[in-house]
Amino acid sequence: MSGGPLAGVRVLEIGGGIPAAFATRWMAGFGAEVVRSEGPPEALTEDEGIYLLAGKRRISVVEPTTLRRLALAADIVVEDRKPGTLAAWGMAPEDLRAEKPALVIVSITPFGQRGPYAGWEATNLTAFAAGGIHSLTGHPSRPPLQTGGSQALYLGGLHGFAAAITAYFGALVHGEGDWIDLAIQEIQAGMLELYGPRSEYEGGPSPRTGNHVRAVWGLYPCADGYAGVCALERQVPALFALVGDPALEEERFRDFTQRAEHDDELQAILYGWFADKTRAELLELGRKHKVPIGAVLTPLELLASEGLAERGFFDTVETNEGSARVPGRPFLGLPWVPGRWEAPGESTAAVLREWLGEEGVG
Amino acid sequence: MKRLPLEGIRVADLTMVWAGPFATKILAEMGAEVIKVESPQAWDLVRTLIPMPGVEEFWNCSYYFNDYNRDKKSVTLHLADPRGRELFLRLVERSDVVIENYRADVLDKLGLGYEVLRERKRDIILVSMAGFGKTGPEREYVGYGPIIEQMAGLASLTGYGDDGVPYKTGISYGDPVAGAAAAGAVALALIRRQRTGEGAFIDLAQREVMATLIGEAFVRASLRGEVPPHRGNRDERYAPQGVYRCFGEDRWVAISVRSDEEWRRLAQAIGRPDLASLTLPERKARHDELDRAIEAWTEQIRPQVAAQVLQAVGVPAAPVIDTEAIHDDPNLVAREFWVTLPHPRMKPWRQPRSPWRLAEANPTPRRHAPLFGEHNTEILGGLLGLSQEEIAELEAAGIVGRAPVDARPGG
Repeated sequence: MSGGPLAGVRVLEIGGGIPAAFATRWMAGFGAEVVRSEGPPEALTEDEGIYLLAGKRRISVVEPTTLRRLALAADIVVEDRKPGTLAAWGMAPEDLRAEKPALVIVSITPFGQRGPYAGWEATNLTAFAAGGIHSLTGHPSRPPLQTGGSQALYLGGLHGFAAAITAYFGALVHGEGDWIDLAIQEIQAGMLELYGPRSEYEGGPSPRTGNHVRAVWGLYPCADGYAGVCALERQVPALFALVGDPALEEERFRDFTQRAEHDDELQAILYGWFADKTRAELLELGRKHKVPIGAVLTPLELLASEGLAERGFFDTVETNEGSARVPGRPFLGLPWVPGRWEAPGESTAAVLREWLGEEGVG
Repeated sequence: MKRLPLEGIRVADLTMVWAGPFATKILAEMGAEVIKVESPQAWDLVRTLIPMPGVEEFWNCSYYFNDYNRDKKSVTLHLADPRGRELFLRLVERSDVVIENYRADVLDKLGLGYEVLRERKRDIILVSMAGFGKTGPEREYVGYGPIIEQMAGLASLTGYGDDGVPYKTGISYGDPVAGAAAAGAVALALIRRQRTGEGAFIDLAQREVMATLIGEAFVRASLRGEVPPHRGNRDERYAPQGVYRCFGEDRWVAISVRSDEEWRRLAQAIGRPDLASLTLPERKARHDELDRAIEAWTEQIRPQVAAQVLQAVGVPAAPVIDTEAIHDDPNLVAREFWVTLPHPRMKPWRQPRSPWRLAEANPTPRRHAPLFGEHNTEILGGLLGLSQEEIAELEAAGIVGRAPVDARPGG
């Protein structure tokens, strides 16, 4: 047992795809004993499984009555099945809660446990579409563009983790857990920056703005890829000083209101300034002059990053293909233990014995 | 009434802009008493980011500020002044958590680093959420959400696929992602404090949190040296998949086909039974052609109708919902996701409630975001025990304020 903050905490993951698997990955790393009851094999790709399942004890599908007993032996249950699945298995969250008041249950679904879309089929793309971020992403003259990876599903997992841990703290202090109904649509609808409230307060949808919300808040091609600048008003003078174009001294660029009317012109100047500099040069200029400048880096480049290496960011997971390096602890300051990757069903007998005191098969 | 999980927890909140306030919004929604500390000289710039022409006190009239700062209290303290700093430390003595998202060097320069806080409150939990962390060669980089997304590898994965251009997400995506993780970090640290009596110093790099949301891309990169190609709205497993133009201005529906059976049903639904027997490899090879066939159908109807027709036959589909329509979305309305709260300076509008729907404790927004310095008397007088005269002296000295000094639109 590790000395992590969740040492001794028992978590049952009823998998599940990315949402449940990501929610419990951090629990495992911070010391909880996570048991994953396998879901349909197609729910995770092999690469997703290597990343998300390390550090978990894996049990192959057991009888619903046994799964129910495992849930009652747990402190936290995380699941991402279709609404009504647990009830159909004779383990409705309300019933589990009534039997064990300290239990925390988190259900993560694209559209929530109730509501007209509760029964809808979904994938990452359709879940992303329904949350509002999709409508804002991509070029204005082209279709909305999904952000890379499986962001809608990962957002479900991220909030699943944080909500479960918060409710578990409540259970420690107040003695009572809760059942949390997380809808990925709501998670996204509540993170629409200023665009969500602006549409509601002023009327009209916010348009897609591609890679330029404004000239000083955008992404530009540079000598060896792409780099970005995000300057708020307070950083604009430093950015202009760095660019050094005499035209930028003029009032139409200096003044916040007038600048918006000359945004295309300003973009043209910035396109020119970025074009002949490398990402490394641009990052160094940003650091030195305290201008928010970033560079588009690939996962391959990040694996070679000295900064991430110095901070010990990556974990190693041994696989049949070799050693995979994956993002490890999400933050520093609490003990984190990288997990070993188990084969499906590897721990079935052991978990039934340790959690339920049972010998034999499940 | 069932208690919320964080009732009884007090948070001294130094965060600004979006990532940090998103974290403390969650803490407030979960029952914590969040005391937002701003300086009359350096306020949360989101208050003044959007020009509100002709509005007096525009720093108290921002819908953007409001929606991420509800249920918090506002106290003003000029931290760079020794008297302001001392009062903050007295607040720390009475708090469980301190949280900040300054650039990495700022808190230490204010003389408020972890060791200083710890001298005043042995088991304090400090959460720092600088863009690139408090240590390492990149700690001095300055960054907002879009930059975090670029530096974490995510922007490199986003693109249409036919032009090589990486894309930013339409929101400052790194901010709320880091914010949610920070809220989780607070709860983890509270759990440990409950069990061991120890505080914690959480060093959260927003860029690192962001990278955890694309873990499988690192598996691929480290095992096979591959960088995933831009795939537009498509998927490596499912075909066809995409976003299809519908009837109306800039209206779209997202559709995913996960199996032969789903494809058969979709082909029937769009009136193209001739295509129904295509296998996955065939559908991938003829993806462009199938996209045109699907769009010939979707162009005639509204996204909501297209989604409902396909859902009726079990095919994943959903409208691409824009930032206006989302306020009337039937699912969100039925779930009572939007709430309207009175605001002393603004007309009523619908705001999101917490997506953490605790079925029993039922977290519900209680109050609008605080006006600037609204709780000066309650916090400085009530909690820290200052007299009215002392508060008045601090105001005269510019250490406490009721309005930002020299506020202009644009942050």
